[in-house]
Amino acid sequence: MSETIEKAKIKEAVKRRKLETYTPVKPEVQLGFVHNNVDCIGCRACEIACKDKNGLAPGPRFRRVQYIEGGTYPNVYVYKVNMSCNHCAEPACLPTCPTGAIFKRKQDGIVDIDSTLCIGCRRCEAACPFGAPQFDPVDNLVKKCNLCVDEIEAGRKPYCVMACMMRVLDIGPIEEIWDAELETPAIGPEEKVVRQVKNMANIELTKPSIGFVPHSKGRVK
Amino acid sequence: MKFQTSLFHYIVFLSAALAGGSWVLAGEIKAEQYEHARWHPMHFEPAIDQATDEQCLSCHREILDRKVLDQSPAGVKASEALAWYQTLNTYEGPQETFHRRHLVTPLAKNLMDMKCTTCHQGNNPREEAPIPPDVAMTDFTLRKMVDPETCLMCHGRNPYERMGLPGPWAESRETFQNNCLLCHAGIRTNRHRVNYLKAEAIEELGTKDADICYGCHGGRQWYRIAYPYPRHAWQGMGEEVPEWAKDRPTESQPRFRITQEQASK
Repeated sequence: MSETIEKAKIKEAVKRRKLETYTPVKPEVQLGFVHNNVDCIGCRACEIACKDKNGLAPGPRFRRVQYIEGGTYPNVYVYKVNMSCNHCAEPACLPTCPTGAIFKRKQDGIVDIDSTLCIGCRRCEAACPFGAPQFDPVDNLVKKCNLCVDEIEAGRKPYCVMACMMRVLDIGPIEEIWDAELETPAIGPEEKVVRQVKNMANIELTKPSIGFVPHSKGRVK
Repeated sequence: MKFQTSLFHYIVFLSAALAGGSWVLAGEIKAEQYEHARWHPMHFEPAIDQATDEQCLSCHREILDRKVLDQSPAGVKASEALAWYQTLNTYEGPQETFHRRHLVTPLAKNLMDMKCTTCHQGNNPREEAPIPPDVAMTDFTLRKMVDPETCLMCHGRNPYERMGLPGPWAESRETFQNNCLLCHAGIRTNRHRVNYLKAEAIEELGTKDADICYGCHGGRQWYRIAYPYPRHAWQGMGEEVPEWAKDRPTESQPRFRITQEQASK
């Protein structure tokens, strides 16, 4: 961080940026999650591992396993959609942040938050179409998944992925995931990966970096 | 300490929750009715559309009382912070929470007439999908609280290509004398007539400062697409519908129409 606060420089930058909107960072590689909606048994081990790693009290959940149930007997169905932060190509949270606490990393496209810069205005929480930023009422700050950036730097995978006993959750370069080319137990040999499932917000809003192996009832169109 | 805080919140919430059967305000119900309150029909369609702000706020009062921190843990002062879109002229006053920016700050009071139910269409306690499970309802978003399509109405991209501008508004505003009404005095003049906006006030301020227009039409952009506004007919509108507008509705969603007033505040 700069040691001097150059207020004049900041004011100049504000003037220059007036009426301009945020131009997203184009990462060298975009990492993202893949989740198999069908084989996930909804044990929520990923959620717990995540909460453990991030020291979260009851309330905020960086990762959310969502149960979708429906149908009429005898044609009933259930599947899971599992999301944390989707590390969007064009994140909505980022331009709403008044303190610059949210940033997108150039090397891997991870959207990270430095919660020590957060003033708890909760705009990012409102803007995210997928509910990723989570408000922690204990310290009045917003926090969110950063894809366990420290683990990534150390050449390992995030806690949620490591905790998944069904191996239905994984990470990788998102283009490889969408093309089902990533070598991962989360994608079966004949399975196709989709970018959107039912009940999920329009992906054109922010272009989330996530892929799903969808349930037949969760397919869009 | 943490436990005490959360217990306190819990008790406040319990004591504020709703009783079943009829509209009952906070303070009249007992702790064991917590679950009952969560599943109260008022939290679901269609009753949610009849819910008044008074009823919502009787339990959810904290959304108006909450303030941002004076400074972040690392010492960033709220008074010195500025988001991208807060460089617009329309932004004034100290940093506020988004609920207050939509309901009680001067701009919200002057130009908007938003109710809780303008954005909130009920909160499913199970958060995932409609209950009871209903295969016909596929538009419920996994995001829990608010459908982002609602946000998109004022937080979308400025569709400058569609309007035939040579470039983004930041670049072409000088060409158009920084005046939206240069064209829009005659085009798409039937606008803003929805029950969550104050149309007259918007039109009046729009003549004074294009930043007011741009604020909701690109300046406060969260998302990368523009909202496909309904194409209300206006005086002098061409008979032929352009290709891009063929799928557009010509009326606002029923719940936003002025004829169908939302429950009063």
